[in-house]
Amino acid sequence: MTEAEFPQCRIVTERLLKPETVEKILNKLAVIPGIRRIVINGPSIPQKVPYGPARGLDNPHSGRATIRVGETDVDLRVQVGTLLLELETRDIVSQIEEACKEVFTNFSYSVKEGRFMRSTPTQVDYAKFGPDANEIMLGLVDPKNKTGPTLIQGHK
Amino acid sequence: MAYTPQYGPGQSVVAENRRKQMNPNVKLEKMRNVTDEDIVLILGHRAPGQAYPTAHPPLAEQGEPDCPIRKIVTPTDGAKAGDRVRYIQFADSVYNAPSQPYQRTYTEMYRYRGIDPGTLSGRQIIECRERDLEKISADLINTNLFDPARVGIRGATVHGHSLRLAEDGMMFDMLQRCILEGGTVKYVKDQIGTPLDKKVDVGKPMDDAWLKANTTMFHSLVGTAYRSDAEYIEYIQRIHSLRTKYGFMPVE
Repeated sequence: MTEAEFPQCRIVTERLLKPETVEKILNKLAVIPGIRRIVINGPSIPQKVPYGPARGLDNPHSGRATIRVGETDVDLRVQVGTLLLELETRDIVSQIEEACKEVFTNFSYSVKEGRFMRSTPTQVDYAKFGPDANEIMLGLVDPKNKTGPTLIQGHK
Repeated sequence: MAYTPQYGPGQSVVAENRRKQMNPNVKLEKMRNVTDEDIVLILGHRAPGQAYPTAHPPLAEQGEPDCPIRKIVTPTDGAKAGDRVRYIQFADSVYNAPSQPYQRTYTEMYRYRGIDPGTLSGRQIIECRERDLEKISADLINTNLFDPARVGIRGATVHGHSLRLAEDGMMFDMLQRCILEGGTVKYVKDQIGTPLDKKVDVGKPMDDAWLKANTTMFHSLVGTAYRSDAEYIEYIQRIHSLRTKYGFMPVE
């Protein structure tokens, strides 16, 4: 289980973000030492049309893009509206706020501290990962999805 | 004494807009000019220029039974020709879209004949005979009931009306049926999400001031707050009170 002592924070923007803006903010966050995990959240953009008479057709969408964070390619599957961060120390919150201030210039945003990520496995987590699940995976990716999290080279 | 409908209570601009949309004597304001061919493309029910497929022979040919109601009610053009029943569906953003599902249904019931509207929380569908539908759709898209950015024409996968807007002011659409390009909104897919051969331009998104002045939705953050309309509050409280007391002693 994720240790409760790691502080977490949540960034919520007034608008849903374009992939370019997500790339910008993630690159700003990636260079801040002390961020353990980042979850990007928002409404899903499916690869294929999920319902209706056109079900199964390809779904070209500019929001479903590949962005580059540091040296790693990240495939976006959602239109990002919320970022959850797990930090090693509370001291870096001011740096996160600074990064947000530089990127989100045209609309407002909020940075809140609290507990936002899952700390105990759900039934689906247990079914997928078993009793010895890697704690760091919990709440990081959808357990039903085959693709895992993206690892970004850190500073340590 | 002749009855004059009031259409709805309220003193706010939102209430006034609601009354204007519902009242069939008020002409809807024409805002844009999307051609009939483009509307056929967005609807996606038939190819432009194709004859209307039929569900039954024209009424004149099929021999109507002797029925007093049929003598009173004149059939619409679509019914007369035996057209199929087809639909258009709209999703209206909560951020000051010009209309909203209940309002759309009231408006359409006051203004059009031979329709079957379906009202849901985030979307509103209207079903009718195909050639009637195209005429009604042209009205709904070309007038002040529509905004290219805050209203979506979505036959399926409508999710987005209550979500935050995108950075460019467009309502979220997981199928991205329309895109903002060069300041105007263009449909690249029809209402169910099948890609179109050509982009259909539906005009410029309206600015925030226009939307705020022409919306029929209350919104305490971006528009007119519901609580600022005392008459509306009084009306809704009266309805609530009567509904609650009803069955016990429905008197005021």
